[in-house]
Amino acid sequence: MTGSTPTLDLHLTDRPRRASAGFGVAPAEGSRHGVAVASVEGLGKCYGRRQAVDGVSFEVNEREVVGLLGPNGSGKTTILRVLTGYLRPSKGTVRIDGFDVVRDGHQARARVGYVPENAPLYGHMRVDEFLHFMGRLRGLRGPALRRGVESARARLALDPVGDAVIGRLSRGYRQRVSIAQAVLHEPKLLVLDEPTNGLDPRQVIELRGLLRTLAHDSAVLVTSHILAEMERVADRVAILLDGRLLTVHPLAGPGRGASLRVRARADRADEVAAALSGLPGIDGVTREEPGGTLASWRVEVAEAGAAPHVAAALCLAGIASVETVEAAPDLEELFLRLTASRALQ
Amino acid sequence: MTAFLALVAKELRALFVSPIAYAVIAVFLVLNGYGFAVTLFATKQATLVNVFFQAAVQLVLFVPLVTMRQFAEERRGGTLELLLTAPVREGDIVLAKFAASMGMLLAMVALTLVYAGILARFSTPDWGPIYSGYLGLALLAGALVSIGLAVSALTANQIVAAVVSLGVFGMLWAIDAWAAMLPSPIDDWVLGLSLLARFQPFAVGAMYASDFGFFLAVTLLGLFFAVRGLARR
Repeated sequence: MTGSTPTLDLHLTDRPRRASAGFGVAPAEGSRHGVAVASVEGLGKCYGRRQAVDGVSFEVNEREVVGLLGPNGSGKTTILRVLTGYLRPSKGTVRIDGFDVVRDGHQARARVGYVPENAPLYGHMRVDEFLHFMGRLRGLRGPALRRGVESARARLALDPVGDAVIGRLSRGYRQRVSIAQAVLHEPKLLVLDEPTNGLDPRQVIELRGLLRTLAHDSAVLVTSHILAEMERVADRVAILLDGRLLTVHPLAGPGRGASLRVRARADRADEVAAALSGLPGIDGVTREEPGGTLASWRVEVAEAGAAPHVAAALCLAGIASVETVEAAPDLEELFLRLTASRALQ
Repeated sequence: MTAFLALVAKELRALFVSPIAYAVIAVFLVLNGYGFAVTLFATKQATLVNVFFQAAVQLVLFVPLVTMRQFAEERRGGTLELLLTAPVREGDIVLAKFAASMGMLLAMVALTLVYAGILARFSTPDWGPIYSGYLGLALLAGALVSIGLAVSALTANQIVAAVVSLGVFGMLWAIDAWAAMLPSPIDDWVLGLSLLARFQPFAVGAMYASDFGFFLAVTLLGLFFAVRGLARR
């Protein structure tokens, strides 16, 4: 089954803007919106003497896509495996919908759908047979099992390959089957490990839309080392390096924040700096390298779309700014800056 | 229960999808059929004692081929992650693999009942040793499968699992020869671990509670270590 792949009826555009739930580096900063489905506190995991994950804390809230971002070996997969109950944490606690993954492992695992890296499946099974098997493993039976399988098949556009042997499916279909088995019991938390690996660009676009659709019903935690993918699909990204959480960066919603670039006459630099600092909703002002007769500032604001307000405020202060624009979100720059500074340390 | 039955069905199907099960059953039946015929024509006695000993040796050789892939293949292919992240206990996964392997092996051994039927057709065999012999084979198979599963749960390499299982089985089979070289009372303790010494009474129609308990204890210990092997992660 390597023929043409039918298109999923999904949003193929970038992530829609919607209210984002909170995501704190520390539990105390936890959820600003929504209910935490997954809660990770001080997670540590050792493989022998090697500390793979150290002191990681975050939450994933309902109807939210959170990306775990980091270079290879940064601990992304280990964190997912602890969340799904495959690995036991060396320290810290992980709760899924309030159930501890160690003490109430059975309850916690029943609330998670997991798509491991490279979509491991039973190649000798047929698609329907596999989905029924996974449904029964999760305690579904009778009409509930049939409904779950039919719904998953429909959502993942698997109807044409229901009778196909999994081992003969294309990579894209195998990935869909892997996702279907993870959603057929309508989990509270859907966990995907590098789901775009090995997919062609069209399949990547379809998967991106699919993840957004799945986030309507579940909290979604997804790993990737591709920054552009995360920018398109996630509400927030948690950046990891060497098993430590460097930062959590909102990419959508009111908590996201934004950067503005303000340029004005250099001879009025002091007045501009003072005016900017006095404005409400300003998180930080940084003077950029001077150049010629114009000075430039990078202004961090709490909410996106603040450029007209800042320009108006400067105007009221008697300062005619030459330019007040929103700087493009730059996850790549943030990632490189954070990982470089950590590497220097 | 739904999950457990689903696991057993999946394991049985996996066993019979692979050509290994068919090859093992075919070779087992050919060798035992040949041994039965030769013994019958040579001794003219209506007994299956010789078949039971042959079958026991073949179980020692063939069980590693059945158990080697059970966990090792799931670990290598990543599907163990699917099983262990589903809301099922490690014990259920181990028991399902045990039940499926035993189902296949007992079906294989049951096919030799044809020989008992032949004896009954042309003679009046003593059924006591035949019953005890089959019970002994079932107990031996249980012990071997559980040890094989424990070894398979510790590695991702099927060949390693098979070789280590074979080594353990061989050691437990022939340990009575080493026991003879040891001083008393250590020789008795070591002899007590011998699969051959424990199986022999069953094959000739004598059943002792100690032998029964030994096979049961080894089976439970093997299953326990298989569960521990899975939980070690």
